Amino acid sequence: MDKLPWVGVSVRRKEDERLLRGAGQFLDDLDEIAALHVAIGRCPYPHARIRGVDARAALEIPGVEAVLLGEQVIARTEPTSVLRPFPGSSRTGYFAMAHPVARYEGEAVVAVAAADRYVAEDALDRIEIDYEPLPHVVDAERALAPGAPRLHESIAGNLLVGSTSKVGDPAAAFAAAATTVSGRFRINRVTGAPIEGRGVLARWHDHSRTLELWVSTQTPHLVRAQLAQSLRMAESDVRVVAPDVGGGFGIKMCVYPEDIILSLLAIDTGRPVKWVEDRIEHFRACTHAREAVHELELAAAADGTLMAVRDRYVIDVGAYNSPFGPPMLTNVMLPGPYRLRDGEFDRRVALTNKVPMGPYRGYGQPESNFVREVLLDRLARKLGQDPAALRRKNLLRPDELPFQNISGALYDSGDYMHGLDVALDRIGYAGVRARQAEWRAQGRYVGVGISCYVEFTGYPSSAFLGRTGAGFGAYESVTIRMDRAGRAALYTGVSSFGQGTETTFAQVCASGLGLEPDDIIVHRGDSQGTPYSVGGFASRTMIAGAGAIAKATEQIRAKVFRLAAHLLGAPADRLEVAGGVVRRVDDASVQIALAEVTEAAFLAHRLPPGEDPGLEATAYFDPPVSAFGYGTVAARVEADPRTGAFDLQRYVLVHDCGTQVNPMIVEGQIHGGVAQGLGAALFEELVYDPDTGQLVNGSFVDYFLPTAADLPRFELEHLETPSPSTPLGVKGVGEGGTIGAAAAVANAVCDALSPFGVELDALPLTAESVWRALERARRR
Amino acid sequence: MTARHRIRVTVNGRSYERDVEGRRLLVDFLRHDLGLHGTHVGCEQGVCGACTVLLDGEVAKSCIMLAAQVDGHTLTTVEGLAGRGELHPVQEAFRDAHGLQCGYCTPGFLLGAVALAARGAILEGDALRAELTGNLCRCTGYQNIVEAVERYLKQTVGGATRG
Repeated sequence: MDKLPWVGVSVRRKEDERLLRGAGQFLDDLDEIAALHVAIGRCPYPHARIRGVDARAALEIPGVEAVLLGEQVIARTEPTSVLRPFPGSSRTGYFAMAHPVARYEGEAVVAVAAADRYVAEDALDRIEIDYEPLPHVVDAERALAPGAPRLHESIAGNLLVGSTSKVGDPAAAFAAAATTVSGRFRINRVTGAPIEGRGVLARWHDHSRTLELWVSTQTPHLVRAQLAQSLRMAESDVRVVAPDVGGGFGIKMCVYPEDIILSLLAIDTGRPVKWVEDRIEHFRACTHAREAVHELELAAAADGTLMAVRDRYVIDVGAYNSPFGPPMLTNVMLPGPYRLRDGEFDRRVALTNKVPMGPYRGYGQPESNFVREVLLDRLARKLGQDPAALRRKNLLRPDELPFQNISGALYDSGDYMHGLDVALDRIGYAGVRARQAEWRAQGRYVGVGISCYVEFTGYPSSAFLGRTGAGFGAYESVTIRMDRAGRAALYTGVSSFGQGTETTFAQVCASGLGLEPDDIIVHRGDSQGTPYSVGGFASRTMIAGAGAIAKATEQIRAKVFRLAAHLLGAPADRLEVAGGVVRRVDDASVQIALAEVTEAAFLAHRLPPGEDPGLEATAYFDPPVSAFGYGTVAARVEADPRTGAFDLQRYVLVHDCGTQVNPMIVEGQIHGGVAQGLGAALFEELVYDPDTGQLVNGSFVDYFLPTAADLPRFELEHLETPSPSTPLGVKGVGEGGTIGAAAAVANAVCDALSPFGVELDALPLTAESVWRALERARRR
Repeated sequence: MTARHRIRVTVNGRSYERDVEGRRLLVDFLRHDLGLHGTHVGCEQGVCGACTVLLDGEVAKSCIMLAAQVDGHTLTTVEGLAGRGELHPVQEAFRDAHGLQCGYCTPGFLLGAVALAARGAILEGDALRAELTGNLCRCTGYQNIVEAVERYLKQTVGGATRG
């Protein structure tokens, strides 16, 4: 594509008209199809043997149609597959219901289908379950210690998987280093918490023995593959449709136990069954994320040049190897944007009696960014250097890219130093530094913190994924079909969950076909009628999707030119299409409306010899490499050393996601990512009581999502270095906003309170945690 | 299960008379009995505001009210803002400012903004943010919602005052 008139334009979103009117169709809106409603009984203990279930009283309630038990599920299904297994770990996940042992509070134990949800919940209350509570463990390091309660008979020591790797000669670098710093960091357990929970509607077509599953998911085709495998069905006999999805953020991908449970109930009752997660369930049934403990060390020369890194960390994956698998970008992106050539990693993934962990915006990247950037500031303080100067000394320069980091990630392009400089300038870094002493003399503790990141977006080819044991490819696909009137329908397996894909795909498509985005009708999220698709996650949709659209529109355009050449009596290679008109490049008076060409294609009355009727194309695009976004966050806080309270006064983010298809949407993605990054940095934490093993704050009353009043106005600066390796030069952008947030704020608080020697090492950062850090510093 | 009650209610200008169970939540009545699916459910605890409707012109969280409580009252849901016609000014403001992404929380914010305008409030910045805490959004980071509501209030309340 040479001319891309709609790329880089903030067109209005196609999604908005229906969503603003309340006319979107979310899962729970499918009343016309749903006949029965399902409620799911969940284990109230962190670990328990189910000695017996008595559902007789429930089945006597009028309106109750079916009860499904764990032993039935285990007899009739396979455990879920794991799409991206951690190197060395099993590809097997877990069964959709617990039997005979439940391993976390919230694990499904029984399900009821009834005439309505109220009756189904009544029935649950009448089901007697005899539990024998078993010893539990809800702390990853304790789970790995000798004598800990064991979750799975087949897994010794609760270690799902552990591995080490080494690049270069880190031991020699540490021995030779002028200085080293180390820290032990705790990353909080959080969750994506979209405002729409999950939901499933399953319908069994007995005459054809096929299954139709409507589900609030980011990845209809992946859900279909996993669901078919668990149900021992052929993929072609399963249709998965995602309607409008009320937020995803990574947690609504892959198959979930309820998809399987609802399918079985649909088969058993012969009627469409619907389940919609309530918020209390959501916290106990939807994957958690991020929790880990890192012991990180950095070695540096006397001038601050980084020499080596060591990271020994434990990820708390919860009770099972969940359907995507544990985060792998943690160590892949730990080196960040710095010149590091020696390092070693020791990874352990621990099983605990908690809700399984799954993907969540950034999956591994916010975690490792926090530990690295906070420790870098400690190094700067130890060396008596300015944190910005230390980073400047170690940031990769544009002429060093492409650069392969010690974990194998190949950074493609960018100007990391420029990003840092723009951020420092925007926040007035030098000004804060100049006035800090004066402010402190007045009793004001103002600090500024910075955090630099590189963001891994998309996947580096399907072949790479295959070599690393993944159960999916890196590609995306599209079918584009012109209609007789000269408009186009675009079919994509990616669903619509807030990311604006309908609009941005239409922009790329319109650019390729010489149409306007309004001329493109986007059909999405239905495995029936869309080409085989991977789905929307890992900031990959536009990287892979734009390539597929570009290829499909090229094929259509070529045929349009052949048909137009025939109709006009002009050479095909002298034609162009724009504004719905095909014309001669060198003589605009020779032209024909695109609609006339499409009419000719479908009537097929006057086709050139050898030309088939119709005008459509299906294309797949497999990105050969990943693209790497990057950015710098600069945050300014004022802290109160008496209470630990701090005020986040300013938040600057400079980022580069390459070519922006729709700058308005890009900015929205960044805003949302920052809000989630700050939520996890300042407010959110899923807390388990070690004694009872219970999740103690699993509701919106107790788990604090940031409100409008909790967040500052974000100040963004956009840089644009087109990726040399993706179509259009795009890089992914969905996850970037989350990555740098926690470290920037932590560094700002430490900077503000540096006269007291405060060091922060755990998230979230609250007045209490800062106050405790102040107390620790005073005692030292 | 529980006693049924006959209720009469006006929703978006249309009168309905229905029998409801005593325990029927207002939001379930609106969504599943009247088919007005634009009012959403996010938490069932009155925290997230996705279920916000206007009850006699005031914001109300329909997930923590019973349908039986609205007998004789007048409700507005998101479907009542524009009907089938042109978008309401608050909807236009959200569209133009990119104040929505997945759109699930959006109806609640729209109705909250309409109630703010009805109070004659022209708010911006932190004062407006404080007024928006009854609704949670997980997609936008609020910045564009704040901008959309600022624009709408300036246009609607400001315009009305000048007029």
